[in-house]
Amino acid sequence: MADLFGIWVTVFFTLAIYTFLYKENPWFRIAESVYLGIATGYIITVDLKYLRDQWTGVWSSTGFMMTAFAFAILIGLLWYFRFSRKYFYLYRWPLAVIVGTGIGQAMQTIIFAQFLSQIRGQISLPLFVAGDLMRSFNNILIAIMVPSVLLYFWFTGGSHEIGAMKVIDKIARYTMMTGFGSACGYTGLTRYSLFSGRCQYLLGIPPNPPEAKMAFITIAAAFLLTLIGYDVFKPKTKEIPT
Amino acid sequence: MSLLEKLQSLDRRWVYLLGWIVVLVPLTNPLGLPVSIGRDSTNYYNYIEGIPDGSVVMITFDYGISAMPELYPLTVATFHHLWSHNFKVIVVASWREGPMVMDIVLKEMKPAENYGKVYGEDWIELGWFAQGEVGMAALRKDISGTLPVDYIEKKPTTGFPIMQDVKTAEDIDLLVSFETGTPGLPEWMRQWGTPYSTPMIMGCIGVMVPEVAPYLQTGQLSALIPGLTASAEYEQILKHPGLATAGIDAISTSHLLVIVLVIVGNAAYFMSKGGGGS
Repeated sequence: MADLFGIWVTVFFTLAIYTFLYKENPWFRIAESVYLGIATGYIITVDLKYLRDQWTGVWSSTGFMMTAFAFAILIGLLWYFRFSRKYFYLYRWPLAVIVGTGIGQAMQTIIFAQFLSQIRGQISLPLFVAGDLMRSFNNILIAIMVPSVLLYFWFTGGSHEIGAMKVIDKIARYTMMTGFGSACGYTGLTRYSLFSGRCQYLLGIPPNPPEAKMAFITIAAAFLLTLIGYDVFKPKTKEIPT
Repeated sequence: MSLLEKLQSLDRRWVYLLGWIVVLVPLTNPLGLPVSIGRDSTNYYNYIEGIPDGSVVMITFDYGISAMPELYPLTVATFHHLWSHNFKVIVVASWREGPMVMDIVLKEMKPAENYGKVYGEDWIELGWFAQGEVGMAALRKDISGTLPVDYIEKKPTTGFPIMQDVKTAEDIDLLVSFETGTPGLPEWMRQWGTPYSTPMIMGCIGVMVPEVAPYLQTGQLSALIPGLTASAEYEQILKHPGLATAGIDAISTSHLLVIVLVIVGNAAYFMSKGGGGS
């Protein structure tokens, strides 16, 4: 019974969110508010559990570690001064710790992981791969396009008007547009994959629960009736001439 | 009003309705379109097949519930692949909702009943670790210290047999990441891949592909499953059809719709421009 109730609730909220495609409406706003409330509650619960688990580890082993743990909690609590105008400056302390440790950790290896390795990969790319025409073509394109885009951003200003740079400039722009196009295409792909996945749930395609299909038909009909019905029968408002 | 002008001022809700139709119809009446096996899914499969028995594989959930429709089928297929072999599997999550997704995976797959895998010996779930990249850095130096309590039995991590020989990133033979964004591959690469040369394979949502593909070319990433289509191919290779295979017709028809709409939209724009439109 609890499972069945859960299925109907899931379908209700899925469809309530999708009603936004028709227009902004109370069903959507209910789902939006409930989602935000549950997500916030979940985050707080998981964080508190994480703190409890940490305490049972090394943090409760010695007096020094316990003090360090208490100190970390105190620093963390300073986040809440974000809401105080008078003591706002205290909020900068935890922020500094978070940003500082994050940047410090990343900077240790970023040059090797994301800069030198990419240069090495670019240089070591074979222009001609025996027996693989497409790969050779791809590698030649990479060898032309990557330096073109780098030059596009390095030699800014008047140098773009010089003969050879005009050609490089054009190649770079086409390269970037191709990259943006690819990202846009993949974005569309992802959106439809996500939508298709939700539809599989709504239709109860295994391993999703088959009861979802009845819930889908019933709730979708109810939403359509209320949304279209409201539009048809709502009182006409006079248009204000501009 | 000409047809071109009508097309350009078409209410977007008609496009949404078309979107619903092209997804729902093939899901209810499968078209049986062929799935051709690509290079990415084959590499991913071969990479896992090539790992010696007894290897320690760490799976990281770098995604939440919202990305499940695209990544969940791959997650299930990968667990099926790993649990069909004699690997030690350690599950962590850099996203808070990761353990929630894993709960659903376990409900469906039942590793003890279907694969004979014993919790704590053959696999373990350590749950979510905080602070993204900083957490990854801590984890690589001391796995049990960073996640001192397991997620399922809520017992000290060090007490499980599987963790006896697994202390740091050096003891992990493969890192498998399923992800939708930050923290994700670049962070794992900086904290695990570069200092410890931990081999990595991953599955990601389509939108991330242009961002992570360069790591494949440099060899920092060993294999990549880019989106749901490649997941369906992977399911086909495994002979374990799941949600990706079931949804592949809908993906094909929906992409066809997008292509047609892009062509029609551009044609209408350029033709009306040629006719004096703006």
